[in-house]
Amino acid sequence: MRRLFLILLFLSAAVGSSTAAELDRAELIDRLCGDAAALGEAGRSLMGVAAEGSTADRAWAAPIARAMMDRKLTCDGAGAVAITADGSRDALSGAPRTAAESGRSPLLSLKNRSVFEMADAALALRSSSDLGRRAAALRTLERQAVTLPELLFESAAAEESDPVLRAQISAVAEAAALNSVDPAKRIAALQRIAATPDRRALAKVGPLTKDPAYAADPAFKGAVDATVRKIERGIKIGDVLATLYNGLSFASILFMAAIGLAVIFGLMGVINLAQGELIMIGAYATWLVQEALQRFAPALTEYYLIIAAPVAFLVTATIGIALEAVLLRHLYRRPLMSLLATWAVSLFLINIVRVTFGTQNLNLVTPFYVTGGVPVIGDFIFTWNRMFAIAFAAVTLGLTWSLIRLTPLGLNIRAVTQNRTMAGCIGIPVRRVDMLAFGLGSGLAGLAGLALAPIYSVNPQMGQNFIIDSFMVVVLGGVGTIVGTVVAALGIGQVNVLIEPLWGAVAAKVIVLLMIIAFLQWRPEGLFAIKGRRK
Amino acid sequence: MAVALLIDAVTVEFGSFRAIDGLSLAIDFGEVRAVIGPNGAGKTTMLDVASGITRAKQGRVIFDDAIDITRSSESDIARAGVRRKFQKPSIFEGLDVRQHIAIGAQGGLRRTLSSYALAQRVDDVLAEVGLADLALRPASELAHGQKQWLEIGMVLASQPKVLMLDEPVAGLTDEETERTVALVRKLRRPDRAIVVVEHDMDFVEQIADRVTALHEGRTLFEGSMQDARADARVVEVYLGR
Amino acid sequence: MKPLASDHPFQILLAVVLAVAALLAVSMVTPLGISAYLANAIGQLAAFAVLALALDLIWGYLGILSLGHGLFFGIGGYVVAMHLLRHSSEVTGRVPDFMQFMGWSSYPFYWAGLDFFPYALLVAAVVTVLISGVFGYVSFRSRVDGVYFAIITQALVYVAMLLMFRNDTGFGGNNGMTGFLVLFGWPIGGSGVVIAMAVVSVLLLAAVLLGCRLLLGSNFGVLMIATRDDEVRLRTLGYETLRLKLAVWCLSALIAALAGMLYVPQVGIINPRLLSPELSLEIAVWVAIGGRGHLIGAVIGAMSVNALKFWLSAAAPELWPFILSGLIVLVVLVFPNGLVDLAKLKLTRPMGIKRLASEPELR
Repeated sequence: MRRLFLILLFLSAAVGSSTAAELDRAELIDRLCGDAAALGEAGRSLMGVAAEGSTADRAWAAPIARAMMDRKLTCDGAGAVAITADGSRDALSGAPRTAAESGRSPLLSLKNRSVFEMADAALALRSSSDLGRRAAALRTLERQAVTLPELLFESAAAEESDPVLRAQISAVAEAAALNSVDPAKRIAALQRIAATPDRRALAKVGPLTKDPAYAADPAFKGAVDATVRKIERGIKIGDVLATLYNGLSFASILFMAAIGLAVIFGLMGVINLAQGELIMIGAYATWLVQEALQRFAPALTEYYLIIAAPVAFLVTATIGIALEAVLLRHLYRRPLMSLLATWAVSLFLINIVRVTFGTQNLNLVTPFYVTGGVPVIGDFIFTWNRMFAIAFAAVTLGLTWSLIRLTPLGLNIRAVTQNRTMAGCIGIPVRRVDMLAFGLGSGLAGLAGLALAPIYSVNPQMGQNFIIDSFMVVVLGGVGTIVGTVVAALGIGQVNVLIEPLWGAVAAKVIVLLMIIAFLQWRPEGLFAIKGRRK
Repeated sequence: MAVALLIDAVTVEFGSFRAIDGLSLAIDFGEVRAVIGPNGAGKTTMLDVASGITRAKQGRVIFDDAIDITRSSESDIARAGVRRKFQKPSIFEGLDVRQHIAIGAQGGLRRTLSSYALAQRVDDVLAEVGLADLALRPASELAHGQKQWLEIGMVLASQPKVLMLDEPVAGLTDEETERTVALVRKLRRPDRAIVVVEHDMDFVEQIADRVTALHEGRTLFEGSMQDARADARVVEVYLGR
Repeated sequence: MKPLASDHPFQILLAVVLAVAALLAVSMVTPLGISAYLANAIGQLAAFAVLALALDLIWGYLGILSLGHGLFFGIGGYVVAMHLLRHSSEVTGRVPDFMQFMGWSSYPFYWAGLDFFPYALLVAAVVTVLISGVFGYVSFRSRVDGVYFAIITQALVYVAMLLMFRNDTGFGGNNGMTGFLVLFGWPIGGSGVVIAMAVVSVLLLAAVLLGCRLLLGSNFGVLMIATRDDEVRLRTLGYETLRLKLAVWCLSALIAALAGMLYVPQVGIINPRLLSPELSLEIAVWVAIGGRGHLIGAVIGAMSVNALKFWLSAAAPELWPFILSGLIVLVVLVFPNGLVDLAKLKLTRPMGIKRLASEPELR
């Protein structure tokens, strides 16, 4: 261990010394054509150029280093010839010429090869115009970052135009600084690392407790311990936030799937087993909108999720209204039969979609506004696709609530939900309210399908995955209450997300079911039941 | 005289709505008590509490001076001897008349009567409620009035000590009402209390010893029917002019 | 319910079932043109009919719809599959393939003793009663019924399916259990054994049918119908309906488990798809199509729907879901009492379809 440390020390010292001098291009070429020791010296010079050479030197050195790596540099009596992207040129002057027949291409030893690899990558990082090439170079450099001059990364980061790559360069530099020989630099690096406490940071800092300096230097030990503590706290907070966030987004999906079900159940005492398929139809409608946009208005394709919202709602609402008018209207006094009837509808919808579109998953574009995310703390990333689901559910909740609370239709729905007979007696068109409410509940399922489309795989069977969870939301929440649905969705969503990492998804489902059954012992009507006398 | 059913400061809430508000009522053995009042006064809810269907938030229900039935289950209360006819005739669509009475007479999963005694009891009750000729008819085929009597017969068959009738003559013709009056009068016994909830004041006048008027979950008046008719508050909230 | 002695439709049905059993039995010794394939199909149909009777008992006569009866069917099926695999291991000298994949060289403890058939029967019964009993008790105690009960049972069977899909449970996971070789020492594929299994299935169908009929004709049956029609009324007459419901619920679960025990040896495989909510829903569909609240309806419904399914799955598999959903809608809208209505329509009471549809249905 200590020996290795010394070697590293020696290496970096050597690199440091060789870069101090002004670059003598001819001498460098001589060394390139020299023996193994000279070659190594040349490689270190190239690295020096990359770190602190002038722009002109760097531009000159980059193709040379590349050519060495590719064994495309040939030494002959007149110096050296490098075959670069611009053709065969004299290494020193850059004038076009071909190598003499007697020329010899220097072969790098394994040890020298790695020196040149680093030099090549360092030069590419500093002077390549291709972002992909620079990123690849950084990945190469990262492997031996600690042996490389810090100045290299500092200058590269300062010049880098791409923000992502710039951040990556700084991260590599930071890791290098962490393993620097200068304790002050290491401590400074530790403090910089502590600013972004995540598992990667912990992986960087953690091994330092085994570092010889940890035992030897109390100041260093203190700094490491403090940093570890800070990172661990950050990770913990991040994990809690991530769990809450994931739970919230799962709850949003559950809510979207269940709200339509709850409205219909509250109103008519009918559980619509085809609700999952209406979700699926909503997702297919979304896909069709995307396809249509691609064909007729490609510029708008990215916005299909927004444009499809009214389409998904109207398509599923129409199906729902038709369903109510043709089938369920006749089954209000027979809720158990309506279960079977809606199951028949679900079977029909799955198979008609299967026959029409096939069973494969549909390809939906992931628009820019649901890609990526913002890292917050620890490993918690505020991802936009989850945020989209949450925001979409929030908007749906707001609209549904307003509709039920503020519009005449909503008033009628509430009246019929509370007392169907009485509502009929005071002149509310009960049947019409049923039909519209069923349309509303189905339309909400369509919107759920839209929200799911960019996150889950869209296929004829997709509805089946949500239906039982959303039943549980309705059972737990109580009949026909929006608040109940929200609270139950949040509860089930969070519990699922909490249990899943501990015992797996199946156990989460089992435990949620058992909890619901246990809960029903305490409140058989659900969380927010409307209580009343037996009629 | 012993108190058959004591409702002691009972309060029932449905959400934020207070259906019964600190109601107290004592019904003696041997008496026929009518409970009257406008819709929503809490009459049926009171019977629900006494029969264990609805739980009281506060207060107690005492049967026969000694047995606290506030928290007992419906079936325990029924087996103790407190039975009730529902407002909407509640019968079993899939059974015949005789089976109904037998279910009422047996009065529990455990057999209490021998086959012979059971048959005897069923015949008696069928005769009493006037359904002997229809004994093997499916109950679903009965007329509304017959369904009312059938339910009274079912409740009666176990010889309850407290008999609660929720609107026994609602929807009945005058002639049927007359028969019900006769039936209720016949049912009165010194060891039995009868509670009748009814809107038909003529019927109440013919059968009730005393009348309790409820309003908004509280007792508004207690006394004879005659006095009730004269009471300004009862007239105001319920009887009208 | 009519006395058994004058219940002619039931007597005819029972006679037909017994005749089929006799016919099958005779064909074991003298060829009557009944192939092993046909006998196997009849045996499977009989198992389904037993399953339908189990559901009809609680749905048709107690008013409780279970959309999770596949769970109990599955328990019976899994236990009998474990029994068969233990004996197959004696032949091959190895544990089943799925255990070898898991790297297990011996059976886990809960497989112990299942090679002894009476013990396997006991295990199936105990597990069924335990699960149905606990679930029924907590549900009925908190007065969960109707649609709530239906969807919670559906969630129950769904969760059971997810559990069985796991490969580390020792129940075959995703692929289930198959490769049964011997039944009571006889090779399971032999036509004699196939027909014998069919005979046993049909005979047990007859037994279950008769048992259900006797139960429904008794005082207990009267109370079941009373519970179905108005449970609160019955409770306020002094009856503890919780116990009654729990007893019938467990009995129904046991019958479903028996159906599973008959079914699995005849199809030769069990996997978690038997526990899919769709199958459990289909049971209700058989009963609804045949006629809920009629034992005959359950038997005829299960047999006719499944016979149609067997045939169509071979002839036009794409068509089957459409026909099934069409059938359900037809039954639900036009014949609320299923094929029983159809029979009445033709045979006894000449009344219009409209009239039938508006007739009050069992709750």
